[in-house]
Amino acid sequence: MSWSPETVARAERIMQRYPERRSAVMPLLYLSMLEDGYLTDDGMREVAEWTGLTPVQVKSVASFYGMFKLRYTGKYLVSVCTSISCMLRGADDVMAAVEDEAGVPHGETDDDGVIAVEHVECIGACGGAPAVQVNYELIEGITPEQARDLVRWLREEQPDKIVADDLQERFGGTRSFDWAIRETEGAVGPFPAFGPYGTVAEEDRS
Amino acid sequence: MADLVKITVDGKEIEVEAGTPVIDAAIDNGTYIPHFCHHSRLEPVGLCRMCLVELETPRGMVLTPSCTLPASEGQVIHTKTPVVDKAQEGVLEFLLINHPLDCPVCDKGGECPLQDQTLGYGPGESRFVEEKRHFEKPVPVSDLVLLDRERCILCSRCVRFAEEVAGDPLIEITARGNQAHIETFPDEPFSSYFSGNTVQICPVGALTATAYRFRARPWDLRKVESTCPHCTAGEAIEIDASQNQVLRFNGIDADATNQGWLSDKCRFGFEFIGSAERLTVPLVRDGDGFRESTWAEALDLVAERLGAVIESRGGEAVAGFGGARGTNEDAYAFSKFMRAVVGSNHIDARMDDAPAAELLAAVQPRATIGDLDTASTILLWGPDLKEEAGTLYLRVRQAVQKRGAKLVVVHPRRTGLDDRATWKFTYRPGTGFGTLEAFASGAGDFAEARKALDEGPVVAVVGLTGMTEDPTLATAVAAFAAGLPDAKILPVARRSNTFGALDMGCAPGLLPGRVSFGDADAVAAFEAAFGAVPDHAGLDTSGMLEGLANGDLAAAVLVGADPVRDVPDGALARRALEAADFVVALDLFLTDSSSLADVVLPAEGFAEKEGTFTNLEGRVSKVNRIVAGPGQTQPDWSILEEIARRMGRPMGFDSAETVAEEIATVAPAYADLRWRDVERKKPEGVLLDGGWYTPKAPAGPDVDADMVLHLARTLYDDGVAMRQSLSLHHLAPGGVAYLHPGDAERLGVTEGDQVVVVGSAGEATLPVRFDPSLPAGVVYVPFNQAGVPSLGAGAAVEVRSA
Amino acid sequence: MTTTTYPQVLTRRMTEHPADSHTLARYEATGGYQQARAAMGMTREQLVETVKESGLIGRGGAGFSAGMKWSFLAPPRPSYLVVNGDESEPGTFKDRQLLERDPHQMIEGIIIASVANEVHEAFIYIRGEYPKPARRVQHAIDEAYAAGYLGDGIFGSDYQLDVTVHLGGGAYICGEETALINSLEGRRGEPRLKPPYFPAAKGLYMLPTIVNNVETVSNLPHILEMGADAYKALGHDKDTGTFLFSVSGHVKRPGNYELPHGITWRELIFDIAGGMLDGRELKAWIPGGASAPWFVPEEHLDMPITKDDCGQAGSMLGSGAVIVMDDSTCMVKAAERVVRFFAHESCGQCTPCREGTTWMQQILARIEEGHGRAVDLDLLLDVSDNISPGLAWPPKMTTICPLGPSAVSPVTSLAKYFREEVEAHVTEGRCPLG
Ligand SMILES: Cc1cc2nc3c(=O)[nH]c(=O)nc-3n(C[C@H](O)[C@H](O)[C@H](O)COP(=O)(O)O)c2cc1C
Ligand code: SF4
Ligand code: SF4
Ligand code: FES
Ligand code: FES
Repeated sequence: MSWSPETVARAERIMQRYPERRSAVMPLLYLSMLEDGYLTDDGMREVAEWTGLTPVQVKSVASFYGMFKLRYTGKYLVSVCTSISCMLRGADDVMAAVEDEAGVPHGETDDDGVIAVEHVECIGACGGAPAVQVNYELIEGITPEQARDLVRWLREEQPDKIVADDLQERFGGTRSFDWAIRETEGAVGPFPAFGPYGTVAEEDRS
Repeated sequence: MADLVKITVDGKEIEVEAGTPVIDAAIDNGTYIPHFCHHSRLEPVGLCRMCLVELETPRGMVLTPSCTLPASEGQVIHTKTPVVDKAQEGVLEFLLINHPLDCPVCDKGGECPLQDQTLGYGPGESRFVEEKRHFEKPVPVSDLVLLDRERCILCSRCVRFAEEVAGDPLIEITARGNQAHIETFPDEPFSSYFSGNTVQICPVGALTATAYRFRARPWDLRKVESTCPHCTAGEAIEIDASQNQVLRFNGIDADATNQGWLSDKCRFGFEFIGSAERLTVPLVRDGDGFRESTWAEALDLVAERLGAVIESRGGEAVAGFGGARGTNEDAYAFSKFMRAVVGSNHIDARMDDAPAAELLAAVQPRATIGDLDTASTILLWGPDLKEEAGTLYLRVRQAVQKRGAKLVVVHPRRTGLDDRATWKFTYRPGTGFGTLEAFASGAGDFAEARKALDEGPVVAVVGLTGMTEDPTLATAVAAFAAGLPDAKILPVARRSNTFGALDMGCAPGLLPGRVSFGDADAVAAFEAAFGAVPDHAGLDTSGMLEGLANGDLAAAVLVGADPVRDVPDGALARRALEAADFVVALDLFLTDSSSLADVVLPAEGFAEKEGTFTNLEGRVSKVNRIVAGPGQTQPDWSILEEIARRMGRPMGFDSAETVAEEIATVAPAYADLRWRDVERKKPEGVLLDGGWYTPKAPAGPDVDADMVLHLARTLYDDGVAMRQSLSLHHLAPGGVAYLHPGDAERLGVTEGDQVVVVGSAGEATLPVRFDPSLPAGVVYVPFNQAGVPSLGAGAAVEVRSA
Repeated sequence: MTTTTYPQVLTRRMTEHPADSHTLARYEATGGYQQARAAMGMTREQLVETVKESGLIGRGGAGFSAGMKWSFLAPPRPSYLVVNGDESEPGTFKDRQLLERDPHQMIEGIIIASVANEVHEAFIYIRGEYPKPARRVQHAIDEAYAAGYLGDGIFGSDYQLDVTVHLGGGAYICGEETALINSLEGRRGEPRLKPPYFPAAKGLYMLPTIVNNVETVSNLPHILEMGADAYKALGHDKDTGTFLFSVSGHVKRPGNYELPHGITWRELIFDIAGGMLDGRELKAWIPGGASAPWFVPEEHLDMPITKDDCGQAGSMLGSGAVIVMDDSTCMVKAAERVVRFFAHESCGQCTPCREGTTWMQQILARIEEGHGRAVDLDLLLDVSDNISPGLAWPPKMTTICPLGPSAVSPVTSLAKYFREEVEAHVTEGRCPLG
């Protein structure tokens, strides 16, 4: 159940960022998902220890937010926006294509544990509708056919890292705005790829 | 007290304290506002939206919840406008659309606010044709409480109670929006000592108690108000019964005492009353066993045998144990019986487990429970209140949590209040006097806490931290507190009506009405009233037990007393009762003690008789009858009167009320206090004064040994009432030896291994559990657990690997 | 940004220097951090007064004067600044662009706002689904620390300011400022009771807190740079400065457009956003994010886009999200999708929102599937009325926050403009549009 020394070190840095311990709950929950792939009961117990809460208080917080997954959600979480702007531009067909190609409906993970599918509410890419995220890395202007290709590609390639610019180039179309330059940072699991989770390493600041 | 303001509710002007939630102000003044989430003992949250009212503002009428609206001068509120009606009807409809409407099989049916308000404010037919939300049917959230999430209306009362009041945030709302529901964590149930309160305050039948699920329909219940028979805080309760069976206790909101709350022991510990093991006929010894007898035969036998002992050895060869488990009236009758009929002052309601009687009964300046609400600092040097006085524990918690009072806890190990304590000092049992001396001088770590005590008001909660502690330490602590500039003392001791029994003179040095043998005038008055009273103090419980064991005393009268289980040296109690020539026991059950008697007389118990109790602040409240005692049971006072008559010295009682009448006439602290006066003041009761005892500091020796024993009570144990309350008995921790991990290592044992603890009066083999909160060199053994031999009250012990 | 006959302020750098507008080097090369430096020499009163003067209105949707809000900040310290980057209302994606493409502009705004409010600890709350914007912002923060613009003794002064990025967890309601504060405290993102109406009195850790939107804060360097009067002149009457519109739906050129108020809806939809797709007709649009009541061409197309005009027409500009629907759109489905959003995002605290929004979504879905009943539209309106009494605008509420009443907008819009289409669903047992 215990975290790796690196995770513990990150957790300690996170704790320093907040005036009160409890504030670190959300970043620590992300760390816990990073350790275990999703939010386990033991993970929540660990976060409870760090923040001085009871495990059920941690669960109460975690379960409020859609991105803290209390169940295993594959190696790649494919989130299809079906909110109004994307719906107007054909998101329901994209969702159907993803479900069909992945072979599982909303909220489920395929038998191999590779791909999980969900429809989500607006992900802030309405100008590039319809939009999809893989492990929260964005693809804008996707068609149902491209969505099928995406799922197939994920299953076949099983890339270690999901990089938005890469996906956008392979499977995307119209964007909300010019993304300008390419990035190489990306996600290594079904949680947002944001290294610091609310903190900067002190050593990075000198 | 805050300023008074005038507000207008539906055209009626009322005057209330500024800041009072408008809903409370309106309801207290006769305008009902429907509500679900609001509870006047919890912080307002404004979730359910049922209590909406219209408030006049410069910008016109504003719809606002009245529970979150603090009263302020000049507010004009309307509770019955068309807008309000429509909104409330809407809220009710929203609450009902996903509700299973299974009222006919719901425990709350008939007393359910949701059901009631639907009749009063709800829409007619349901317009909801969609599929209802489904959850798995009742799931246990603890050993005592079940949760039906389909009935839950998410008012969060249970969650708020657990966090705000009990300090056990183990039950929470999880998920979001329409999927939100109440949950506990896997393997971490809502095992709060106070979990049952959530059943009482849940406004629907979502939380139900295993102890009374499906037992009765609320509309079949008869109800009576009474006082809790378990702890000494004098909680106001309502007893519900049906078909001569007590089915439920609920807390009543008495501001002075429990404010509506009960510990689970008090709430669910009613099962003993209807136990199948209750004694129903008199028993007389027949060889190794008993045979049933008639009352006449049994009473004749008692009168004859007691009479014989008195004649041959004198009244002072008779010992009287008990009084604390009955009413004041029973205790008074017992006290008078021992003094006037038997002629002995050897009587004690304490079971060698309490501080000095005069400290408990007559200390001054004495604090009330309510004084905790205004104390700037609270000193707690006594039992772990969470284990021994649940509602007092909640009150101290509140004082610290809500109001920021400072709290000093001095105790041999971790206590339930440590997480709220401003200062916590842990010391080894047996070193209390030295610790007190250091504390009083403000040495070292004690400096800040000591300084805080110089600024009043201070309430010192004083009692025994454990049973191996010298009882005079409590007197010394009280003496220290009495010497502070602005402090009052709240003495604590365990076992229902201990304080009432002591007030009634069930103590070797006290006569009824808190009269000491030093007070010649008062003693003379009793001689006149009782005929004769021995002119010197008698023996206390340990003295009486030793006297019986070594033959100095010859007979014993047990009134609801079980010394074999209750005193620290149970083996001595057993030897004493075995050695006695004659033992008569008035009891509800055949206990480890009453089964050693020669005659056992079946007594009426709680809820079967009327009378009064006195709590730890000296507050007198009524206990009432709602069911008939089983079989041929009789109240204690009546049994004692019958024996007295047969001994030729009738006491003159023909009802509990005549006993009360005599108390009001002869017992000084109770002068002129009649039942009707107590009834009139319900649910609070009448607070007596009449303290005369200013504690003095006796210097006691400290014990120095490699290993010392901390022997202390837990909420659930193997006492009679617990043994006979099946819902609770299995919650007791059982036999266990807690050791500091360092000591365990030294002894070469780890968790789960067995150790032998050799105490001053017995030894026990117990499994080890770690407790890092203990000082080194201390073994903690919970007292009175099933199957654990008694160890004795000596602090020095030996511990070795088994 | 394609059509640019109007002056660009917030989006200028990213348009002119697309490759590196997010870097410190480019930011400074184009005049960046000069205003923060200047602010160090100004008094709190001067700064608050300038911002008040500029007429800057919060861009988070509630439309409250930024300067006014700052002047509420109660004396006890410490106090906090929280930048609201939770942007989650369907149709809105402008903050994402500001965060990703010009993070230093916001950071400079944070420094100015902090100095103006004596804040030493700022948090940027970015929604969890925005990892890339969060990375960009974090990188910019790191650059600013390294340059001595954040941390101890910023710009060589003795002023200390720390900035922390806090990533959300996927809950729209955390955009509501008191829910956001709860979330930052490590709690469920449930809105707090009002009063107090602004966290300026009791905010983060019950201490005075300023919450401002990303766009609001990003405006600050420009206000200082050009002065309040010039800033005002950029805009239209009371609606000062420029405004970011997020246009989405059935238009040829969806995207974010920085524009002054006062142009007409026709200009926005048909000129700037390129008009309708594939020669389709305009049927309706949502003028200010999913919470806003809808507009229709017959009544609103030539109306000028101002805060007041929108308000008088019974809707709002909100966060500037314009969602355009053409004549192929099933209005029941559109309404269902918007109501579903609010039902899904309801925090669940208050009964009318928790139960009512889901109920409305269920009814709408049923009508859309062809199982509607004649009574359903009136039932929907009555349920709406129980969430938002009187169905007035701005809405009255039986709830704690405006999320519940927001779900009412699509229903009242349906009843007002598309009653016949709803009825056709019921009588035909299917969507009349096929
Ligand atoms: C349901 C709800 C959602 C909101 N979401 C956001 C949001 O995503 N971003 C935002 O800046 N403001 C949002 N707001 C407005 C904020 O409560 C707050 O008014 C704003 O952040 C203040 O910043 P401003 O004055 O700079 O606009 C929301 C309000 C409500 C009621
Ligand atoms: S279980 Fe009862 S008390 Fe708890 S939230 Fe539900 S309705 Fe309220
Ligand atoms: S209106 Fe909805 S989102 Fe707002 S507080 Fe109430 S339940 Fe939560
Ligand atoms: S509606 Fe799909 S990203 Fe906004
Ligand atoms: S009682 Fe006031 S909102 Fe629930």
